[in-house]
Amino acid sequence: MKAILRIMHAGALRRPVGDCLEIFRRRFPGVRIDLSAAGSRECARRILTGEPFDVLLLADPAVFSEFLVPDHVGDHFVFATDQIVIGCSRYGHQYRSGRETDGQNWMDVLAAEGVSTARSDEHLDPCGYRTLMVWQLAEDFYHRPGLAAELERHCRPIYAKSIDLVGPLLEGGLDYAFIYASEARQFGLPYVVLPAMVNLGHPAHAGYYRRAAVTVTGRGLSDTTVVRGAPIEFAAGVSRRAEAPDLAEAFVDLLTGEEGQRVLEHNGLIPC
Amino acid sequence: MVAGQDTGFTGERLLEPHLLLLLCRKADHGYELIARLARADFTDGEVDPATVYRNLRRMEREGLVGSRWEAGRSGPARRLYEVTARGRQALAAWSETINRQREKLSVFLAEFERLRPQS
Repeated sequence: MKAILRIMHAGALRRPVGDCLEIFRRRFPGVRIDLSAAGSRECARRILTGEPFDVLLLADPAVFSEFLVPDHVGDHFVFATDQIVIGCSRYGHQYRSGRETDGQNWMDVLAAEGVSTARSDEHLDPCGYRTLMVWQLAEDFYHRPGLAAELERHCRPIYAKSIDLVGPLLEGGLDYAFIYASEARQFGLPYVVLPAMVNLGHPAHAGYYRRAAVTVTGRGLSDTTVVRGAPIEFAAGVSRRAEAPDLAEAFVDLLTGEEGQRVLEHNGLIPC
Repeated sequence: MVAGQDTGFTGERLLEPHLLLLLCRKADHGYELIARLARADFTDGEVDPATVYRNLRRMEREGLVGSRWEAGRSGPARRLYEVTARGRQALAAWSETINRQREKLSVFLAEFERLRPQS
């Protein structure tokens, strides 16, 4: 019988996971790979409802500790970092208006009438609550009281996970979206870089990031929990009930080793 | 780096002795190292996390630092970097290079001072 490796991953990791699997399949040619992707909080909830997995790759290590450690996962490993950027459509507002959107004017551009901006869902996807944190930090950083609420009113629709925003950006269905820098780089999207004090990408600002806080649904749909701002990290873990623990560990070793680091860097992430 | 080797005296190149010095004081994760670098105030401007991690990986390939996973008390495991014996030698060589550069800069500043009009 063919061995099966079940990998559940944050949607933002689709391309790097695919590239790592090309290497993995050459090393373990007989293994069948089952992949599933969702927002990281959604992945954790699926596991709590019994969905099986061998390897789990999430966009926030805090999701492991909140939902899965110690019952479902033991050790889990930080393997990459990133930052939030504003992805821009090549056919969107910036190109219609002929004016460049940058790190200083973006909040006025995005709040203007006729401009479409979207984000992902904070209850399902870390990029969603990180976007709301970026807005809170921006309000303070740019001395713009009310900015977060203003952006909240304008930023519609809300997508399940950040990678879902990329298609509409590529096709011109959206003008702007808050996504990871790695997603913008993977798909060749232009993007606005935000200041390090705001973009959740710099460990030196961890104390400042903690000012931001977002309330999201917890383990149960009626529970809520407060997530505080922190530098962005991605983490990997192996299921305590993995059917193929050796294969699962081999995949995590590949991802966190030299070959995996090259793949992550090639995909715009910062291996760490 | 080995003593006497031409290293180039550029900003990113200087990240190597900065990281080695911090790691000689204490083994650390990249995350904490970046925060310590920012506090150390060795250079003007903000330290770029991607540049730090890229240099740590290069330094590991060159045998200047080693790394292993360290489990967090309640959180995730992170890669812990430690300086190697070769890394300590490289830091000593860097200190000589920096000293030589400081002497040359002193000569330059002395020449510049001589150009100033006498008050």
